[in-house]
Formats: sequence, structure tokens, C-alpha cells
Amino acid sequence: MMQQAVSRRTALQGLVASALGGAGAAQAQAAGGVNFIGWSAAVDQVKAHITAFERDTGVRVNYENFPWAQFRTALVTRLVGNAPIDVSWISDAWLPEFAEAGWLADIDDIASLKRYNAEAANYCTQSMTYKGKQYGLSYYGDHMSFMVNTEVMAKAGLTAPPTTWEEVTEQCLKIKAAGIMEYPLLLSLGADTWLIEFVSALTFSFGGSFVDDKGESIMGAANGGAVAAARWLHDAIHKHRILAPGAVETVELNGLRAFGSGAHAFTIEPTYRIRALNDAAQATAHGKIRPAMMPKGGPRGTHDTCGWIRFYGITPAAKADRARRERAVKFIEYFGGRDTKGEYSFQKLLLLDMGLPSCALPIAQDAGVRQFWDRWAGGGAVVAEQALKARKKDVVSPWFGEWVETSNQAWQSVCLNRATPEAALGALGNKWNELKRAFR
Amino acid sequence: MRLRLSYDDRSAAILVLPVLAVLLVVAAYPILYSFWVSLHDIVLTRPLRRPFVWFENYERMLGDARFHTAVLRTTLYTVVTVTVTTVLAVGVALFLNESFRGNRLLNTLLLLPWATPSIVNGLMWKWIYDPTYGLMNALLVKLGLIDSYRAWLGDPDLTLLLISNAAIWKQMPLAALLLLVTMKAIPDDLYRAAKVDGATVFQRFVHVTLPALRPGLMLVLVYETMISIRHFDLFLIMTQGGPGDASYTLSWLIYVETFRSLRFGTGAALSYLLAMLTFLLSWLFIRFLGERNS
Repeated sequence: MMQQAVSRRTALQGLVASALGGAGAAQAQAAGGVNFIGWSAAVDQVKAHITAFERDTGVRVNYENFPWAQFRTALVTRLVGNAPIDVSWISDAWLPEFAEAGWLADIDDIASLKRYNAEAANYCTQSMTYKGKQYGLSYYGDHMSFMVNTEVMAKAGLTAPPTTWEEVTEQCLKIKAAGIMEYPLLLSLGADTWLIEFVSALTFSFGGSFVDDKGESIMGAANGGAVAAARWLHDAIHKHRILAPGAVETVELNGLRAFGSGAHAFTIEPTYRIRALNDAAQATAHGKIRPAMMPKGGPRGTHDTCGWIRFYGITPAAKADRARRERAVKFIEYFGGRDTKGEYSFQKLLLLDMGLPSCALPIAQDAGVRQFWDRWAGGGAVVAEQALKARKKDVVSPWFGEWVETSNQAWQSVCLNRATPEAALGALGNKWNELKRAFR
Repeated sequence: MRLRLSYDDRSAAILVLPVLAVLLVVAAYPILYSFWVSLHDIVLTRPLRRPFVWFENYERMLGDARFHTAVLRTTLYTVVTVTVTTVLAVGVALFLNESFRGNRLLNTLLLLPWATPSIVNGLMWKWIYDPTYGLMNALLVKLGLIDSYRAWLGDPDLTLLLISNAAIWKQMPLAALLLLVTMKAIPDDLYRAAKVDGATVFQRFVHVTLPALRPGLMLVLVYETMISIRHFDLFLIMTQGGPGDASYTLSWLIYVETFRSLRFGTGAALSYLLAMLTFLLSWLFIRFLGERNS
């Protein structure tokens, strides 16, 4: 009788789960498995590696993915609704707000994951750390690279890439004067999620920061790097006319396509795009695109650039349950660390297939990886040197998601000549202070 | 005193009850709940706190510079879109009201833009305006009106008008058909009598057609205003509120506040403000145009 009652209840639960759709289904599917959520990138590679993981460990994976543009909102709503998520891809930009909300569990007491720090770039480990605790293992780590079209440079008689932003202006003017192209510089200043990385790279290269060591806003300082970078951008569009006014309409993906078509001489792009840019199947200018060090800006300029990391995070619910935790840790290690054969197979796959640089230092010595950089970037030296100068976005904070909306508008208003760099970034600094105060 | 219901009343009540229950669940409850949400400071990324703040969210938004910008942009967009749509629709309806060969075919073709999904419409116009391969640039260069390709949507002075143009292209056919239906109902006797009185074509339009069109015009104005004031899809696809704040309308602000900043409290408050504004405008149209009509 009891048996019958239980099975009725189970049947009823099954019906309710079916009726509720996704969440219920995910829960049912993941019984004894890992619920993993990522954005729609490297989907084929992820699926292939999940198959390998399931074969090697016997642990099933329920994989869901959402477009990057909607991912944060989709993930947050699922977390708020207590959806059964075990592991998720996380952007370093969301770490503080997710950690504060209690949606991510730290991995400080998980030795099998922490041991990978010894083999990871310091910058990557720092990017996964908030208030002294580490919250995951890297998916990939990348930085903004200055890229040049060597063919256009050669046409204009330029023998070396510019090393300062002043030289960028000079070389662009020379290219313009030679009648090669109207706008030699291409920057994707459309208001998408990449804009903050572009302007951070520029600001860092002008020796500036958005905030000081205590997290107080210095972005509006008249002699600061952010204002200098914004002024340079403004002049590039309105004074020198080397950058198209339509740059504010260009989002990163469109910028990539435009640069790949060979219509521009210089750009800033995520390093992983170098593979697509030099791929004959994807870009007309293939074979001509090379990375160069980020130009320095002004008297306090540096070759620093903006870096970022995406990582595997584990939810508190998964960590609290022994069996779920065991499976989730296995999964994270297999994808973010070494597989059961002791190799960084997924990290290597992502680099070779997609161009996504890895945080794991040992794979730089891999013959296949060295070949990759030789083939797609003319050698890995510049990329490696630039990686050492990559800095984490200093505006990553619990209020970043809200602040960045205002930031995109402020930078665009400078580019549109609707506000002076001082006024726009001053107001942006005030917004930062307001959100910071409100968070306390 | 007991309420005595006839068999028919009881049957009607029983038949209506399920629909009422569904309406309560899918319409009344969400509306009341979102009002309740608007009285709380709910930020999704801070799940452990959701203080009750009375009307603070409304107060905050009414004092926010972004709200003022959004109201300004929404007003401009709505005025341009509704005015141009209505004027063009009257013209097209007058044209289609005439008897000529191919009239029926033209009536059907007219519906095509309206039948196009909004997302497709937005993408189509985004491509037309594209700075590198856009049809508009190609056409204007060929006609010698511009020297080189331009980033139309990147020009903050033009952005709103260009989005408005895309909206008019989609909205105008329906408005024209609504007016055409009203026009067809105008008795020919009125025109004949006006002609006998020596009225010109223009006088017949002003004194016969326009007054008789009032019910249709009211419908078009209310409908178009409600659609325009809440328009979102074109802004999402074409400009994302940019460049800068050039197309930062109320519905875009609600989206940013709710789904990007994840501030559900202020997002709900803004939605209520927008709903109130829409109701107010609709009421004004009905009150004044309706009265004149009666």
C-alpha cells in the first residue's frame, strides 16, 4: 500500500515537473548528473567534451546555453528562482554581485581545484578572487590587443606599428593622405558588453584608472588617464577624422567583420579574434593581421591593456550537497583543469579551435599551441608580452552591472561631441559614488 | 433580501466564471502584484533585502534625469510617428476610396508591411540604414545627394526620426485600412449635396469627409498613440537606446532598469507611470474627439 502511495506521488511529481517545463525537466534529468549552464559560445566543443566527460567519469551532464547578451539576466532569474544549477560559466565582471548575493560558492576548501593555481597565470587567479576568496576555475582568460593590417601599413610605407597613440594619429593621417582609406582606425564603440573593455584598455594605456586603490572614483579627474583617453577618442573622430563618427554604432562583432574585410589599418580587438581575422574562410584580409603592443598614451602612458576572465563557478546548493559537489568538482576539473588523462585537453581545444587563450601556463609549451600562434599571429611573443601587461577592470564591483549602462552612454556622448570628456566622466564618477553609497 | 437569479442569469454567470477566473489569474493578479512590487526596493542581485519603500521608487524616477530625457524622447517619437502615420493614412485611404483598376490588389499589398513581424521590420530597416552596405547610402550616393556612406543611426540628431520612419512604414497600412472602412460608410448623398451647393474638392474633404472620419480618426489616434508611446522592439533592434541617449525612450528605460540593472522595484514603478500616461492620453483623445463626434 505504502509502495503504491509513493509511486502515485512520484507519478504526480513527474506530471508537475512535465507541466512546469524547463526547470522541472532539468531537475529530473540531472538526478545523479551535473546541471551546467553556459552562454552560446564554443557549443560544439562543449558538447563534444561533455560526451568525453560522460564516457570517462560516468557522470551525466545536463547542458543549457543562452546567448551572451541575455545570459546574465537569464542566469540571475534562474538563481533567484532556485533553479537546480550546479556549475555555470561566470564573467569576472559579475563576480562581486554574484558573491554578495550568495549565488556562488568559494572553492577555497576544495583542494583538487585550488591546486591549479600553481599552474595558472596570477592575473587569472586574482580575477576569480573576491574579498580574499576564490570562486572558480578558469574557462579562458583574454585581453584586448592592438591589431594592425600589415598590408595597409606597407602600402603607406609604414615599417613598424605605432607605439604611442600620437603615432597612431600620425600613421593614420599618413594613410589618409595617401588616399588609401578614409578612416584607418576602427574602434567598436557601440554600446554592447565589450565597450567597457575597449575604454578600459584605452584608459590603462594612458596610464589611468577609473578608481583608486580604495575604490573611490578618479575617472573624472581633469589630468587623469580616463579623461585623456576620452579626449584622444574625441579628437580622433572630430579633429583628425581618422575614426568614423559611426563608430558609436559599431558593436564588436561588426567591427571584427569590418576589420577583417581589410577596410581599416588599426583596431583593438579581443586577442582570440586573431584566429578569425587571419582565417581565409572568414576574413578578406587574412594573413595580414598581426597583434602589436597596445600603444602608450600621453606622458604617463603604458603598454597596459584590459584583461578579463571567464570561469566555472559552483553554486552554494551544489557545494552543500556532498554528491552534487563531488560531481560538480569533477566536471570543473575536467573542463577548467586537467582531464582524467592529466591533460588540459579542453583548454587546448578552445585555443586551437576558437583562439581562446588559456590561463593554464603549461599549455604554452605545447607544440600544437606554439604552432597555433605561429600560424595565426605570426608568433606568440607579442601576445605573451601583452598578456603580462593585462589588468583586470578596476570597476568590477557589486554595482558594476548598473554603472556600466551609464558608462556606455558617457563614452558615447564624448564621441558624439555631446559632452566634454571632463563633464561626461565627471558625471560618470558621480554615478559611481552614488551607487557605491547606495550599496552600503 | 435574497437575490433571485433567473435560469438564464445563472447559466450566463456559470459560463462567464471560468473566463473571469482566468482573467483574474493572468491579468488582475499580475497587475496588482506589479503595483506591490513597485512599492518595494527590489534589486534582483540583492536577494536578501527587499524593503517596503512606499512611493520612493516613483519619487526617485520622477527626479531622475534619465526619466526626463526618456519622456522628452518618447514625446518627440510619439508626436512624429502618430502625426505622420495619420496624415499618410488619410491620404492613402482617400486614394484607395476611389474606383480604379487594381484597387483590390493594392488593398492587399498595402497590408504587407503591417503583416511583417516587428523584429523583421527592425532588422530590415537597420540593414537599409547600415553605414557599410545599406541601401539608403547606395541610393543617395547614386542620386548624388551625398558624397560618401554615412552612419545614419549613429547620428544622434537623426536616430529618432529614422526609427520613427521604420515604425510609420509598418503602422501606416493598418491605420489607412481603418480609415478606409470609415470612409466607405460615408453616404454618397452628402457628397452629391455638397457638389450641388458648389463645394470644391477641398471643401468637400474638409466639410464632409473629415467630420465623418472622426470615429475612425479617434480609433487611429488612440491606437497609434498607445503603440508608439510603448514602442520597444525597434529600439532594441536598431539602436539599444543609443547612440548616447539619442533614442532613450520610456520603454527603453524600463527595459534597462528591469532587465539590465535588475531593479524590479523601479522598473515596475516606471511601468505604472507609462501606463498612467497612456491612459491619460487615450482618455483625452476619447473625451475631446468623442464629444465633438457626438
